[in-house]
Amino acid sequence: MFANFSSIALTILGALTWGLLLGGISRSVTARIHGRMGPRVTQNFIDLWKLFRKTSSIHHGGMFWMAPMFRITGAICVLIMVPLVVGQNITYNMSFAGDVFLLIYIMFFGCLGMALGAGNSGHPYAVIAVSRGLAQMSSYELSFSIAVVAIAVGLHTFKIEGIVAAQQAGITSWNIFRFPFASAGALLAFLPMQMAYPFGIVLAPQEIPIGPPTEYSSRMLSFMFSGRALFGVAKLILFVSLLFGGASSWLGLFVKTFLLYMYPVVVSSVFPRFRTEQSIRFLWFIPTTLALVDLVRVML
Amino acid sequence: MIDKVKNGFEIRFPLYKLVREQHNYLHVKVDMVSAMDAIVMAKTSLGHNVLQLISTVDRIEDGVFQITWILENYGACTVLLISADFPRENCLVPSLSQIWPAASAFEREIFEMYGISFPGNPREGEDFLLESWKDTPPMRRDFETEEYAMRVFGERQPREHIDPRQYVGDIVGEWNTPMGRKRKEEK
Amino acid sequence: MYCNQPPEKPGNKKELLEKITNMARANSLWVTAYGTGCGSIELRPLGTSRFDMERFGIAMRPTPRQADVLIISGYLATKTLKRVIRVYEQIQDPKYIIALGSCTINGGMYFDSYNTLNVLDKYLPVDVYVMGCMPRPEAIIDGFSLLMQKIKDGRAHGWKHYKENLDYYRENQKKIITDWDLPDYNW
Ligand code: SF4
Repeated sequence: MFANFSSIALTILGALTWGLLLGGISRSVTARIHGRMGPRVTQNFIDLWKLFRKTSSIHHGGMFWMAPMFRITGAICVLIMVPLVVGQNITYNMSFAGDVFLLIYIMFFGCLGMALGAGNSGHPYAVIAVSRGLAQMSSYELSFSIAVVAIAVGLHTFKIEGIVAAQQAGITSWNIFRFPFASAGALLAFLPMQMAYPFGIVLAPQEIPIGPPTEYSSRMLSFMFSGRALFGVAKLILFVSLLFGGASSWLGLFVKTFLLYMYPVVVSSVFPRFRTEQSIRFLWFIPTTLALVDLVRVML
Repeated sequence: MIDKVKNGFEIRFPLYKLVREQHNYLHVKVDMVSAMDAIVMAKTSLGHNVLQLISTVDRIEDGVFQITWILENYGACTVLLISADFPRENCLVPSLSQIWPAASAFEREIFEMYGISFPGNPREGEDFLLESWKDTPPMRRDFETEEYAMRVFGERQPREHIDPRQYVGDIVGEWNTPMGRKRKEEK
Repeated sequence: MYCNQPPEKPGNKKELLEKITNMARANSLWVTAYGTGCGSIELRPLGTSRFDMERFGIAMRPTPRQADVLIISGYLATKTLKRVIRVYEQIQDPKYIIALGSCTINGGMYFDSYNTLNVLDKYLPVDVYVMGCMPRPEAIIDGFSLLMQKIKDGRAHGWKHYKENLDYYRENQKKIITDWDLPDYNW
């Protein structure tokens, strides 16, 4: 029991550090693509600490305070259910049969909490961003769910552990090669999940300056940032487990998550932004169709 | 093009004064009473149906405000300026906001900056640029800007005015400017 | 959201923690994107690849809730001062003000204008002045590094000064904002 708790705590701390570091790296990669020096890779830690130590005197009701907690909770749930490294029992924190469905639900849950909190702040930009975000979420979540279901049905298991275990026979057994269409759909859905351009309609700095977190300040914002970092890492690990054969060692985990993280960063720094309806139309049609192709193939 | 406009003025307002004329530009001056008629005529029968601007000049020496309406005809690419003088004391100018709703904004601005009232403007007196201004309207020439700034914002001494000619004029003799060179040649 | 109580006076914090935090504060200055005068034009190049303020950890935030620094970029009209006070007081502590241009120092070329204030320091606590008309982006970056040094040394106390001498600042502000309709303190 104790080992379990400490491993969970370590997982969360490690994920937070890795998430913030990845954020810093992505900021400097974006800057290099723009032809700038860019900030230090540790910039996110500095920002977080500074925000944490600022005073805070803004109050917008209970849901406003709960929202970052919702997000962090969602991220932690995902983290402790997905096995980090194959074969090391200490990293199998809590996984059980059927956790795939719970995961899909919980990924929704974090965003939903954010939406409620941002809506409660009463700022018009936050509300616009929330409505856009929910519309977009309902479209990418569809293709993602279909892709996951296709994979689960194809492998005859609804347990993440089982899905990972089925991919251990070399690179060709990875789901990205066994279910290419579903993987393509899921990877396309990964872009809006990370709020990368061209699907960055939620934060849209040109129209609704930063969207949902407009009213969040100091300590609340630092929780928001850590929640985002945690959630990012949770999503990465989930995708690595679902599509890229899990990780057989710690090094493999870091390399795989790093490469997967760079994918939306690179894509988003060269693309302009879709309008809301364009983004939603794209997500309804292309990734969903791709995922459906594999689902039908598996069913037959 | 502009001849047609000019003809219109000659027929309707024989007493108008021609200020300036170009191939697509006409500046006329009418008296205070017929200003409104002239504008309505320009809009309805001369095709100058876009109100570009209402501008005001404070001619304190003559005791008048000169108001100029700039009307444009986009189809024919001609500009028509209609000016009229209004006495400075208790200045009242007919409002155009019934003809061009956009005129209301110009008129509010002029009311704030010059204190000229436009009876008929539904939004007159609403805050536009200045908020709660209590002094003389700041663009009138009897408003002492420097004195006001010293009194309200304080502390800053006005800068000294130094004529550079006093220091360098003797050294270089004539100034090496087009005017200076011209003067040299004349000598 | 705001309340009508005076802000609480800041107390002494633990030394070492404060030092580490000051390092963090100096290296992560977030600026409210709010421009008042000509200077906001010179602020934009700071984000481009030529000057790149992000390498110092300086970033633009669209809302005062998340910012640390308020840049008064040039002349400040009395009407704008009202908004600036609101924005400044909504920034969470600790907060700093950088003032750009000679207009904020002593009025600059608008020293005798009817609605731009002359000495900014009387109305808001300025931490760093950057002189010039308008300071180039290099000079602004220099001003930022000065502010960073001040924060690291723990000398950037403008916000404490403002809270302790709120009466003085309010008196000056109310002198030029005649229709005072702000709450006692904006949160
Ligand atoms: S100092 Fe110069 S550039 Fe700056 S606001 Fe004043 S006039 Fe404009």
